[in-house]
Parts: sequence; C-alpha cells; structure tokens
Amino acid sequence: MAKAEKKKVEDADTDLIAAINAGRVERFQELVTRYQGKLYNFGLKMCGDSRDAEDMVQDTFLNVFKYLKDFRHETKFRNWLYRVATSTCLKRRRKSKYAPDRELSLDEFLPKDEADISDTVPQWAAQPLAQVLNEELAQRLKTAIVELPEKYRLVLVLRDVEGFSTTETADILKLSVANVKVRLHRARLALREDLKGYFKNE
Amino acid sequence: MSERSTPHHGHDHAACIELFTRLSEYIDNELDEVSCRDIEAHLADCPCCTACMETLKRTVAFCREVEERPVPATLSRRLQEIVAGLAAPKPA
Ligand SMILES: [Zn+2]
Repeated sequence: MAKAEKKKVEDADTDLIAAINAGRVERFQELVTRYQGKLYNFGLKMCGDSRDAEDMVQDTFLNVFKYLKDFRHETKFRNWLYRVATSTCLKRRRKSKYAPDRELSLDEFLPKDEADISDTVPQWAAQPLAQVLNEELAQRLKTAIVELPEKYRLVLVLRDVEGFSTTETADILKLSVANVKVRLHRARLALREDLKGYFKNE
Repeated sequence: MSERSTPHHGHDHAACIELFTRLSEYIDNELDEVSCRDIEAHLADCPCCTACMETLKRTVAFCREVEERPVPATLSRRLQEIVAGLAAPKPA
C-alpha cells in the first residue's frame, strides 16, 4: 500500500471523512444523509427497480464504511463513492443471471434509407426544452436509459445524468478516455433513436 | 454541400459519416479548434447533419433534466439503523 505521496484532493467532504476516520463513527450518518439521494437515483437507473436500488445503496454505504480508512483523497470523495457504488452494482448484477451485454455498433445508428434522413430540425429538438419535456417523455426517457446495455448505460448515466466529466468517468470506471467517448456516443445515439420513435407521429 | 434540395444528400457521404462519429465530442467541446471549425463549416452547408446534431444535443439535454425521486423513508430508516449499529460500542 506504500504508494508515492500524491497530491491530496480537498473537497467539501474532506473534514467530515477525517472526523469519521478519527473515531467519530456516528458522523458517518452525515455522509449518508449527504449522498443517499444521489446514490438511490443512480441505483434506480442502474438496477431498474426500487428494491434493487435500495439494496445497492445499503451495500455501497457498508463498503464505503469498510474502506473509508483506505481512501487516499487522490480524487474527490464523490468520485470514489461512485466507484464503490459502480462495483457494488456490477457485483450484484453478476450474481443474478442477466443476459450478456449487447454491443451497440455505430452502423446501426446510421440512417437506413432516405426516409430516415431529415434535413429539418424536428420540433422536439427546435422548441424550447421546457415546452417539450413533460411527465410522459421523462418516463419514456428513464425507461430507455434503463434498457441500454449495462456498459453503455453506466457511461451515459455518469456523464449525462450525474454530470461527471469524461476523465472523471474514465477514472471511476477504470476505462480509457477513448473508450468512454465511444460508449457514450453510442449510448446517446441509442437514446436518440428511441426519442425519434417516440416523436415520429408529431 | 448538397446540390439538390430534396433529402437526396444521403449520409453515405464520407464527410457526413466522419462527422457523425465525432458529434458527441463536438457537442461536449472536446475537439481541437481545427476539427471544430471543420465541423462548423460542414454543418453550415449540410441541413441533414445539422438536424442530426440538434437532435443529439437535445437528447443529452433531456438526460440532464431527468428528475430525481425522493429517497423512500424505509431506506433512510434502514441506513440510520445500520449507522447506529456501526457506531455502537462493540461488546468486549
Ligand atoms: Zn453532412
């Protein structure tokens, strides 16, 4: 474990973590309160249903508690937390028997025929966002996200829903930046296909 | 770029395909200045790629707007109990 001293990343959680590691274990509740909402919603998108999301959040906090002493502040705590959450998620999924991940190829998103090509920006992309986004569409989008193959979904959720940068996402998932970009692009194209279908009759 | 006004332009055009593969990087501002300028020049002339770019951009914008669900009370309670258990002095 004797690594060369790296620069410590200070963030809003640094003091709290120091206190917990110094023995103020009851203050772990503050960390839980701070992140349970974020993790639960991340879990909903990654696991698909509420029960699994709840289990994932619980397991994640248990793992965080277990490994908090080893956290070296080499990244923001939030990034490390999502790394723990992600591996917790993947471990849970591996235990259940899911179909192997489908690959998304760029080719399948290229327009197939002329009818598929539009030379005008459709209403749903041209109108102000607030005018287009409603409850039904939000639900449709969530479903489409949950249905993405896992390795694409992970990248999309971290980048476009949680707002991590490309390098942060690469760091959380231990992937190359190039790989993150490829997966993200295909995931976005898959969602766009779904939305195009949804808005077809408008 | 397209000589015809009908959507005959077709995305088999090599430049369109090349752009198609880099649209996310373009939207995310992750391209160098030269590539960016190339893409903007192409978009200015190509309504098909512009439509493609705008719909992809909007897709990303929707993702950023996904509303969060509140944490179920049962989960909060469960977590509180777990933390209380962790904080409790261990029996010697
Ligand atoms: Zn084009």
